[in-house]
Amino acid sequence: MYTGEIIDCDVHHARGSDEEFVAYLSKGWREYVADRGPAGLVPLTVQDGLPNPHGFMRADTYPENGGAPGSDYETLRRQLLDRSNVRRVILTFGDDSHVSGHHNPYFATELARALNDWTIERWLPKDDRLASSILVACQLPERAAAEIRRHADNRRMVQVMLVDNPYNYGFGHPVFHPIYEAAEETGRPVAIHGGAGGWANPASTGGGNVTLYFEAHTLWPQAMMTHLVSFIGHGVFDKYPKLRLLLIEGGAAWLPSLMWRCDCDYKGLRREVPWLRRLPSEYVAEHVWLTTQPLEISPRREQIVELLSWMNGAERLVYSSDYPHWDADEVKHISAQLPQSWHRRVFFENAMKLYGWSEAELPASRMVNA
Amino acid sequence: MSVDVGPVDDFPMKRMRVLDIGARQVGIVRWGDRIFAVHNLCSHQGGPVCHGVLSGRLTSPRPGELTLDDSSPTLACPWHGWEFDLSTGTALLDKKLRIRTFPARIVDGRVLIDLK
Repeated sequence: MYTGEIIDCDVHHARGSDEEFVAYLSKGWREYVADRGPAGLVPLTVQDGLPNPHGFMRADTYPENGGAPGSDYETLRRQLLDRSNVRRVILTFGDDSHVSGHHNPYFATELARALNDWTIERWLPKDDRLASSILVACQLPERAAAEIRRHADNRRMVQVMLVDNPYNYGFGHPVFHPIYEAAEETGRPVAIHGGAGGWANPASTGGGNVTLYFEAHTLWPQAMMTHLVSFIGHGVFDKYPKLRLLLIEGGAAWLPSLMWRCDCDYKGLRREVPWLRRLPSEYVAEHVWLTTQPLEISPRREQIVELLSWMNGAERLVYSSDYPHWDADEVKHISAQLPQSWHRRVFFENAMKLYGWSEAELPASRMVNA
Repeated sequence: MSVDVGPVDDFPMKRMRVLDIGARQVGIVRWGDRIFAVHNLCSHQGGPVCHGVLSGRLTSPRPGELTLDDSSPTLACPWHGWEFDLSTGTALLDKKLRIRTFPARIVDGRVLIDLK
């Protein structure tokens, strides 16, 4: 089992209560959501239409003093931060991450701003191992770009995160480009988090909407495929040559076959996308990283290793636990699946490169031996 | 071996004509003051490449913009759409793949193809 240093690229933090968060909304929006008695607050999150029959959270992650999993720092510290050699985790929000699923684009934009400020004030000071995603509402890309630039000087707001898709176009579509322009300008990777299927703006499964969580979870890679091919086809990596893209929680083993197909199709369809300068797989080799969780499991270990080798998995994979979700992957589990020679890169070094960090700017791990 | 395939006026500008020459089918086309001859056999999957789209080269300075380089005749096979540089026969996106080209010239108003 790998026992070295770790960067965990997907940890979901949550609000303890609505009230805790509402204070971060502007006065006007506080009035808009205000509790009016029996009706309560205007809902701050969009509703998930596909319930997981045994819940979305690991049962052991509910804090002893109440609240949602991921809402209590001490529980998170004990169960995750101090349990292994973690030098940094990247917070990715919980249900709140679905701001782009809101129908009201202005409310979504305000929620994203306030959620980022809430994270900066209520989470980052608690532990220097914590960093956060910059949550943006994709409904208004220019406003999203402004939100990214607002955090340009905060080195602990480390990536731009997209989840739900408000416009039913792949994320490479030009309507989203202001977001990527700001991400490139501020040196932040763009992270697309899987799992938008079944929320207010699903659009994450080809062929038709899914109606079971079993379908949605199995098919999450579909959305990643859509967005990745969209990024390539619309020339996002040509337009923003320094942009880095991280695909979170979409699996990884599908990438080689997608790229084989994509390269082949490009050779026959170049006339439609003559702005591409390289084979699709060459863009991916330079611009794209994927998180390990949920890593596909093959009947024999060598099969998944062979497949991941085709995408240079030793360099392109970054570790993520997905704590506190029900399908979180343990370090022990991932290290058993991957060759030992990959471990340090996947658990630590690849993320350092992706985020452009130096050793000196990361805090030391503080593992507490069991 | 040079073969006289007819008067130059029988070969309209920018329109591929496919002729049976011996055991081969050869596509011949005039493009400006040049003339090209290629084997009607795609090196990708054996398609009749000369029946595909013949055009200048579509290029792009940036995503979303198309420009036409009319000085670079390009032939796209009707099977699978792979494109070939008509002057060299090389596939645009796979330099290892070529369709066969034959030297062609106009002499005294006649088109001559060298089929060696």
